[in-house]
Amino acid sequence: MRRLLALARRFSELWSKARRDRELTEELAQLVEMETASHVSRGMPPAQARRAALMRVEVESTKAKCREHRGLPRLEALGQDVRYACRTLRKKPGFAAVALATIALGIGANTAVFSVVYAALLRPLPFPDPQELVSVAETSDRGNISERGLSYEDLLALERSGIFAEVAGVTRHQLTLSGASDPTLVTALGTTSEMFPLLNITPLRGRYLLPEDEPGGAAPVAVLSEPVWRNRFAADPRIIGAAINLDQRAFTVVGVMPAGFGLPGAGRLQEVWIPVTQDPLFRTFLPHREIHGLFVLARLKSGVPLARTQSQADAVSAQLAHDFPAESRGWRLRLVPLRREINGELRAPLLVLLAAVGFLLLLACVNIANLLLAKATSRVREIAVRQALGAARGRIISQLMTEAAVIGLLGAAFGVALAFWGVRAAALVLPSALPGVRNVELDGWVLGFAFFVSVLAVLLFGLAPALLASVSSIQVNLKQSVAQTGESGGRLRLRSLLAGAEIALAMVLVVAAGLLVRSLIAMTSVNPGFESAHVLKAAISLPRYQYSSPQQWAAFSSDLLERIHAQPGLEASAIAVPLPVVDQAVNLKFSIADHAPLPPSLPATADYVSVSPQYFRVMGIPLVRGRGFSEDDSSTRPAVAIISQSLVREYFSNEDPLGKELVFGFPPGPPIAHQIVGVVADIHDAGLNQNPAPMMYVPFAQAPFWGGELVVNSTLPAADVVGAIRRVVASIDKNLPVTDVAAMPDVIAASVSEPRFRTWLLAAFGFVALLLAATGVFGVVSYSVACRRREFGLRAALGASPGLIAGLVLRESASTAGTGLLAGLAASLVLVRFLRSELYGVAAYDPLTFAAGAAVLLCVALVASLIPAWRAMRVDPTLTLRCE
Amino acid sequence: MLEKTEIWQGTLALMVLKTLEGMGPLHGYGIARRIEQISGDSLSVNYGTLYPALLKLEQEGFIASEWAPSENNRRARFYRLTAAGRRQVAKAEREWDRATKIVARFLDPGAESA
Repeated sequence: MRRLLALARRFSELWSKARRDRELTEELAQLVEMETASHVSRGMPPAQARRAALMRVEVESTKAKCREHRGLPRLEALGQDVRYACRTLRKKPGFAAVALATIALGIGANTAVFSVVYAALLRPLPFPDPQELVSVAETSDRGNISERGLSYEDLLALERSGIFAEVAGVTRHQLTLSGASDPTLVTALGTTSEMFPLLNITPLRGRYLLPEDEPGGAAPVAVLSEPVWRNRFAADPRIIGAAINLDQRAFTVVGVMPAGFGLPGAGRLQEVWIPVTQDPLFRTFLPHREIHGLFVLARLKSGVPLARTQSQADAVSAQLAHDFPAESRGWRLRLVPLRREINGELRAPLLVLLAAVGFLLLLACVNIANLLLAKATSRVREIAVRQALGAARGRIISQLMTEAAVIGLLGAAFGVALAFWGVRAAALVLPSALPGVRNVELDGWVLGFAFFVSVLAVLLFGLAPALLASVSSIQVNLKQSVAQTGESGGRLRLRSLLAGAEIALAMVLVVAAGLLVRSLIAMTSVNPGFESAHVLKAAISLPRYQYSSPQQWAAFSSDLLERIHAQPGLEASAIAVPLPVVDQAVNLKFSIADHAPLPPSLPATADYVSVSPQYFRVMGIPLVRGRGFSEDDSSTRPAVAIISQSLVREYFSNEDPLGKELVFGFPPGPPIAHQIVGVVADIHDAGLNQNPAPMMYVPFAQAPFWGGELVVNSTLPAADVVGAIRRVVASIDKNLPVTDVAAMPDVIAASVSEPRFRTWLLAAFGFVALLLAATGVFGVVSYSVACRRREFGLRAALGASPGLIAGLVLRESASTAGTGLLAGLAASLVLVRFLRSELYGVAAYDPLTFAAGAAVLLCVALVASLIPAWRAMRVDPTLTLRCE
Repeated sequence: MLEKTEIWQGTLALMVLKTLEGMGPLHGYGIARRIEQISGDSLSVNYGTLYPALLKLEQEGFIASEWAPSENNRRARFYRLTAAGRRQVAKAEREWDRATKIVARFLDPGAESA
């Protein structure tokens, strides 16, 4: 308390400095008079008395000691240092601009990436007690299936087991919303009613789904998302209680969820929530235990650890396998913390990015350290003079550190602003670049991180130059001018060490960027196995209440194709579901009739596609053997299938597949035998970066679906094609929406947009790293040339040719670069394995990339040394000799 | 004649407070003389120590100062004890007493058993 009071008083003294100084002077003058008078009174001559008094009082020294105790000398010194630092920065605008830009870039990149990392991996989910939330999936070691959802029956079994406080499932697909205005597809989520209490959220209006909405006989109800309510229903509060049509069936709206709400892990777009038991599509699957269609969330009982609940879930799995061996054997329930489930796949790429920007910041720090060192060198005399005048070493270090801090924190402020705009811009330009990352923002945590990193950076780039500058010998530095400080070898060594470090850091980034670029090239140059250049796709989805039977679906599609084919220029059209790359692949189990048992290592699954006869021609997928589908392969004819070459390779290695029978069925239908009538070439159906999977195709007429992708291979302008498709669909049923229209090449490009974005980002970092390394090398070599001016002059005078001198300089920079390259190579070799998961079609230890990276850096180092080398060549020997 | 002893660290503040308590308001010169006088001239007060000490005591609120005419009718700065200073003297005296007793036991261990 007393101390605080004293501090407050000292603080208030800051404003009365001048008066207090005057008073102290007067007080001490009085003291000297009194001392003098006392000496005189004891008989000393006045002049001698005054001298004795002055010796005793030591006016100036006493004043100085008092000043130290007055006010807040540390704070005042800091203020002084900051003012001085700002002045020196203003005086050297070039240095200031480079240093500030460098640090702003480093801090900005780190802040931006961290804000995404924080939002995706660290920030708690926006629900009460988020650590209790888990997702439940089923895995099967028999089917080699890593993760699937649960069937409705399994969910009910979990609910009955009581091992969770709450457990709920959700399925997601599109439904046609019609009535109010143009029919449109909305993303609907069929959920069980426990979902809402589980997440503990309140609706914006009305109520959420309740258990009484669930029985099959209950009136169908729906809850809308805020955007749908606002955009489709003009935010009309009377929507509660009104009816909407989903797939031509009336649902009563009972509530609206708040803006930004979504069931975690159930996809980005969520527009309508309905009871899963009322779901037009999924409710037919409810009794089928083999259909793993529900994404399941659960809340752990409070205080019960995940591991214990997992072992209880294992018991449930065992019981299910015992009770329902046909459907459940081999399946195991797996609990994953919800946060990991949602953004798990972002973890590796984000950490790679974070590491990259970390390296960039390190590089920026080294670069600024180098600049500061150069600046300290030109200030050797200033510092020596200040030391000679009595400045303590600590005071000089603190002054140099203040300069570093001013640069660091000012640069960091710019950097945070940069990150703020950068994150905004990235969110605008690349909405899909960061799936599942909502609301990336610069909040307290992110700003705290930025501050922490800046302080770290200041220590990193400020400490070494400050320490080094303050130890120099006063006499030497006072005597010599800047140009002559050729003896400061330690400083030069440190600077070339720093330049080497810059090369090493840049090497790591350049190699990483190179590997990603090579991987992107490999990915985009993959031949998907099908023609895409002139192919346009559009999705058509039939309402399941109006079009309820497979016969109707088949009739609709043949009618549609017939009318499309009649349009000029649209002759090459087909229907497929699911469409490769565009849709999620459907992987089904199969067996081969009358065949020796397959080795247990083979999962015996293949990707299933239902296509109309022209599909292979439209998509340019070559038929290798047998025949394609024809109009004759109708529902009344024997079931047929066409398989891909990789399926032949894996399962019919020594036999002819034609005429053999493949047994499989699309749920909920039973498995039936399909005669193999043809073999087609492989395609990358699951994505360009996935290997071609074994495929089995069936004729659409024999395996109709309630919707599909229309693909048209046409040389007509895209707008004409789309117009024609819309006209034809409307002519059949004006309530049918045509959605997701896209050119196939765009779809393929979009499928690699995320790796492309990451690659270019890292390439940009690599480029900045090269620039920084170049300036670092340039600075060091220039300085070294300046130091060796006399040596070069003498050499020239003794007959060395300009070429020889330039060679000396270049050799020096090459040796610096070489050391850096070796270190960088070693670091890269250690670090690239963390990149492995991001790479496609290129080995992590790709020698070409490493060699190219080294070559680029060597070139950069040599180019950066050319100007200093040229300066060294032009040293005038006569001038040097005259100076001696 | 013995060398004049420098004042031990930390004791000057107590001496100043005690002096002001006994003598009433005094200027710096007066305080120095009084301390030397009481010590029987075996202490020598260094102004370079005394003045910062006065400043510190004033900042802590134990003493206050004001300008007043001195003996020779010139303006001088007089220091006086505040109420907080009076309490501090009592407290410091107690502490000092305890500290010296402890030290004394170390210096003369036999006295303890006696």
